[in-house]
Amino acid sequence: MKKVQFSGIAPPLLLIAPQMAIVVIFFLWPAAEAVRTSFFIQDPFFGRAVFVGFDNYVNAVTRSDYLRSAAFTGVFVTAICAISLGFGLLFAVCADEVLRGEGPYKTLLMWVYAIAPPVAGLIGVMLFDQHIGPLVDFFAFFGWELQTGVDYWDTAFAMTVVAAWKQIPYNFIFFLSGLQGIPRSLREAAAIDCRSPARRFWTVVFPLLAPTSFFLLVINITYAFFETFGVIDVMLKGEPGNNPVSLVYKVYLDGFRGQDLGGSSAQSVILMVGVMLLTVVQFRFIERRVHYA
Amino acid sequence: MIRTTIAAGALALTAAAAHAQTEITWWHAMGGALGEAVNAVAEQFNASQSEYRIVPSYKGNYEETLTATIAAFRAGEQPNVVQVFDAGSATIIGATGATIPVEDLMNQNGIPFNIEDYIAGVRYFYADGSGKMVGMPFNSSSPIMYYNVAVLNEAGVTPPKTWEEFRDVTAPALKAAGYVPLAQSHTPWIFTENFMSRHNLQFATNSNGYDGAEGTQLLVDNPAIKAHFTALKDWSDNGLYKYYGAGWADNQTPFENGEVAIWLGSSGSFGGLKKSVDFEFDATFLPYWEAVTPTGYNTFIGGAALFAMAGHPAEENKAAAEFFRFLSSPEVQFFWHRETGYVPITEAAYELGKSEGYYESTPLAEVGIQQLSLPGGEWTKGYQMGFYVQIRDVMNREYGRIFAGETTVDEAFRTITEEGDQLLARFAQTQG
Amino acid sequence: MPDASFDAAADAPSPAAKGAARRAPALRLRWSSVFNHGVLIFGVFLMMGPVVIAFTSSTFDPIAIHRDGLKLGWGGEFLSTYDTVLFEKSGFTKEVNGLLMLFNSMVMGLGFAIGKVVVSILAAYAIVYFRFRGATVCFWVIFSTLLLPLEVRILPSYEVVQSLGLLNTYTGLIVPLIASATGTFFFRQFFKSVPEELLEAARIDGANWWRFLVDILVPLSRTMIAAIFIIMFVVGWNQYLWPTLMTTEEGYFTIVRGIKQIMQVWIGANIPAYNEALALAVLAMLPPVLIVVIFQRMFIKGLVETEK
Repeated sequence: MKKVQFSGIAPPLLLIAPQMAIVVIFFLWPAAEAVRTSFFIQDPFFGRAVFVGFDNYVNAVTRSDYLRSAAFTGVFVTAICAISLGFGLLFAVCADEVLRGEGPYKTLLMWVYAIAPPVAGLIGVMLFDQHIGPLVDFFAFFGWELQTGVDYWDTAFAMTVVAAWKQIPYNFIFFLSGLQGIPRSLREAAAIDCRSPARRFWTVVFPLLAPTSFFLLVINITYAFFETFGVIDVMLKGEPGNNPVSLVYKVYLDGFRGQDLGGSSAQSVILMVGVMLLTVVQFRFIERRVHYA
Repeated sequence: MIRTTIAAGALALTAAAAHAQTEITWWHAMGGALGEAVNAVAEQFNASQSEYRIVPSYKGNYEETLTATIAAFRAGEQPNVVQVFDAGSATIIGATGATIPVEDLMNQNGIPFNIEDYIAGVRYFYADGSGKMVGMPFNSSSPIMYYNVAVLNEAGVTPPKTWEEFRDVTAPALKAAGYVPLAQSHTPWIFTENFMSRHNLQFATNSNGYDGAEGTQLLVDNPAIKAHFTALKDWSDNGLYKYYGAGWADNQTPFENGEVAIWLGSSGSFGGLKKSVDFEFDATFLPYWEAVTPTGYNTFIGGAALFAMAGHPAEENKAAAEFFRFLSSPEVQFFWHRETGYVPITEAAYELGKSEGYYESTPLAEVGIQQLSLPGGEWTKGYQMGFYVQIRDVMNREYGRIFAGETTVDEAFRTITEEGDQLLARFAQTQG
Repeated sequence: MPDASFDAAADAPSPAAKGAARRAPALRLRWSSVFNHGVLIFGVFLMMGPVVIAFTSSTFDPIAIHRDGLKLGWGGEFLSTYDTVLFEKSGFTKEVNGLLMLFNSMVMGLGFAIGKVVVSILAAYAIVYFRFRGATVCFWVIFSTLLLPLEVRILPSYEVVQSLGLLNTYTGLIVPLIASATGTFFFRQFFKSVPEELLEAARIDGANWWRFLVDILVPLSRTMIAAIFIIMFVVGWNQYLWPTLMTTEEGYFTIVRGIKQIMQVWIGANIPAYNEALALAVLAMLPPVLIVVIFQRMFIKGLVETEK
């Protein structure tokens, strides 16, 4: 805090009031409500609630579709992180090293960031369509008959590709700025010590990028968990069927499609606990890193 | 004397016109061309009289419309009339007091109502346990079998009457001619719900769920349907059937492209098909297994019904009743039937269609009604189960896994029964 | 908050210096440079390809796409397709056209960005420049919003908004999204880095708390405000889940929300209007992409510095 401050009671309360009001009404209240409803089974029309204790939780975590969705979410998140961080880093390293054209490359590689996930999903669903999709033809050329919407893992593959694609620019931007933040003197010293560029990268440059990488990992996990909703929703084409869904999508399915308010809330609370743990880990390891949610 | 009567009459007319119109709202889930037909029906009603005015509005797909209605009901802003689909009907019928049953609404407003006027297949689907009609059937369809006429001729076969015939004669010939013999667009609806009905098999305890949510359990883990899916899986492995996923259009498109010879879809699909394909196609009843039943029974209706929401002033309820009266009149039903391909819901409308010679010019339009009017059995009235949207999702998932080879037929039906029963038990708790 | 990486980024070397550092082994440089360009060109292809094919396909008629798949090249239906999508009041009902959806998206993007910036600045100012009872409590309450993204409390949030009668309103669309306090944290960090002397000097000049905020602090933060504004506009424009649930009246649909409707028409219709769906997708991405490209420097600065 500042050593020099204003005094008075009314001004600060007035200033902070809008934020507090929004937080209380649209954050604390719903969060508390989620916890409360998770212990009840509710009739959708009248909201008549029957207290069922932890039944909703037990029901959620023992249902095979929930476990399947959890397993898929794990694979999905890992794959998105690996693909989008990998490509982001690769492009950033190359863009950092080229002498000419860095600017245009940078622009062309980053602008996909501004595309909304469902819009990416719409393009993806057409590229991977069984009847009109060029990517299906492409993979058929290599003998892989890709059946999105029919085969569970084929659909999972399509979703992962689209979701990871959309996240590459973000990682690219951060890695590039991280690389450019490495002091020149350090690199020159490294260049003298270690002639192999590959070894130089892994022994000198990459460790310096570690904080950026860790921060990006957390952001990418959050992205893969939550912001892929739009991609999944569009790529399912209205029927979950035998298609993979993430845990967040399942909260939506059970709550809004199935009208099972208690079950959906219990799943929300499980996710809340997960996110809190993730955030605690994040703050333990890197201070003062804040992301948009 | 005469002049005064006319003057009085004119005055009465003006008074009626000046009298404020009662406006009611109607939420529906009919997009595209169907939405236009909905608008046309509403306009006709508004033009037919001057006291009431109905305003339809599109609320997204069936699930979204139901969700929007529930949200609005809880906020006290529910529409007067709402369209709810078959799988959601237990939810809204179970919410006693949220809606006014059609039968009560009509009686309260002095409009004659006789459930026997409705054709057999649609009569009891949206009724409660006592047989009282709660929702007015609106867009009703049934799954039927479409086929590509030229392709069947080329292969030298006729549309199969039974699945045995399909297996032994039709499918091998079609495959040899270079086509995918069979596809279908809605596995839970066509190969589960209507499979039970077509073979007169009990679908769930408690009279298929009509006797109440408490203790209702699925009865799908039975040999007949498992044999059907074992056959389907076998056909799918041998190129006699192809599963294109849970999406409706994904399965319809290959039929339109001429890759698939026989496609099971909705009796309401023919209007659209006529626009999208340039080959000759025809339709007939769904096949049945002769090994299970010597003759096929009638199928269930699919589609949706209109419900009058409670909590509105009497004159608005009166307007809703008048609208229902208008909607079930033979002329309007026939118009709706002709425009959309959905079946007419009353005997009178069906008769009107016949007398207008409609089925001579368009025999396809009659297939669905005929199938719905086949002799019924004990288990062919319909079904009513809560959380049924999720139960269908479970079915879709397990069926997908069967065709992908991730699970066996036995295992899949065990899972469906187990998870379905859990959902039904949860729903029963919400009704408690 | 401008920490080590911020300062380091500021003294990043010019391309010339970079070249000099690496000019030594000329041959290897050439090969590595071929490799680098190769990878980057592949990257550009990877990132641009899908969007390009989406755009070119949108200029064909749907029957051609239905028959032959997505297309490259110029289909000649550009004007008619985009005209239909933008102006024809059709698609799913007769009330909405693309222009109205773009307008709603604009309201959403601007409303979200302005709301977030204003609310955050005020709250951060109170936290940093005032000592008051309850400050710590407020801070932690605001902090807690960072723990739970909207997605995990979506159902109760919806119920709260519904019980307040805010479904199908711009308020209900925008305000609940502002609850997440990321902006407040950013401005708090920024204000803390502002030299103390400024406030002392201002007080000597007799500025009260309001004048200090308006005359000194806000002008000082204007680049940061602009950067945050751009990012928030993109975030707001791209919202999908919340508008999908919140708006059932088509008059309030944003263009990204409209994607869901396109999908429904696609699922149900016989020959789906692929071209119109893709055209709407192109229109939905155009404004945020243009803003990001035009204000690229500011955008990257804002993104990199606020996220840390």
